[in-house]
Amino acid sequence: MVSESQSTQIENHEALTGAGPWLISLAGWLVPGLGHLLLRRWGRAAIMFAGIMAMFFFGLLMGGHLFTVSGPDQQATSLLLRVPPVIANFGTGLPYLVCYVLDLGFTSRAILPTSEYGNTFLWVAGLLNYLASLDAFDIAVGRKP
Amino acid sequence: MVLFAALVAVVFGVIGKDTTSQRFLYGLKVFAEFSLIGLVIAWVFYFLPW
Repeated sequence: MVSESQSTQIENHEALTGAGPWLISLAGWLVPGLGHLLLRRWGRAAIMFAGIMAMFFFGLLMGGHLFTVSGPDQQATSLLLRVPPVIANFGTGLPYLVCYVLDLGFTSRAILPTSEYGNTFLWVAGLLNYLASLDAFDIAVGRKP
Repeated sequence: MVLFAALVAVVFGVIGKDTTSQRFLYGLKVFAEFSLIGLVIAWVFYFLPW
């Protein structure tokens, strides 16, 4: 006889196949922590969400700005220098897309002394979310507990 | 810098190891490394004249 909690535990250790892990990973990229939430890793999901979102909002509060490939502030810069920060920012998923649709946070505020720190926070928030998304994929395919 | 180190350490700790105690220790280690290396680099830059 297997209790409900044991059954959930066993279910958690079953590896997903097919499109499942990819969808979990995509969900984890879209909303930080959602991939882990779907895998029932409640604690990890909450920590991921709180950590990455805190980094994103602190970045904006410090005067950092989000990047686009064709934004008005980036026209004078080489494409090679414009793309990497966009890739990093894009890692945050939905928060970046919401800001893009609402046109929030894309204006450079270089006059603020903390703006470069803010940019770094915003880039690292996205990069950490890529790692979190890959972690959710690994858990989903059974590579990690 | 400390805030940055703390937030990165939290996420690294969660994804880096398998058990809770390992995660906690790894997070502390990453936090200490980020903070210490940041301080060392800051002092090195302080003494560089250019």
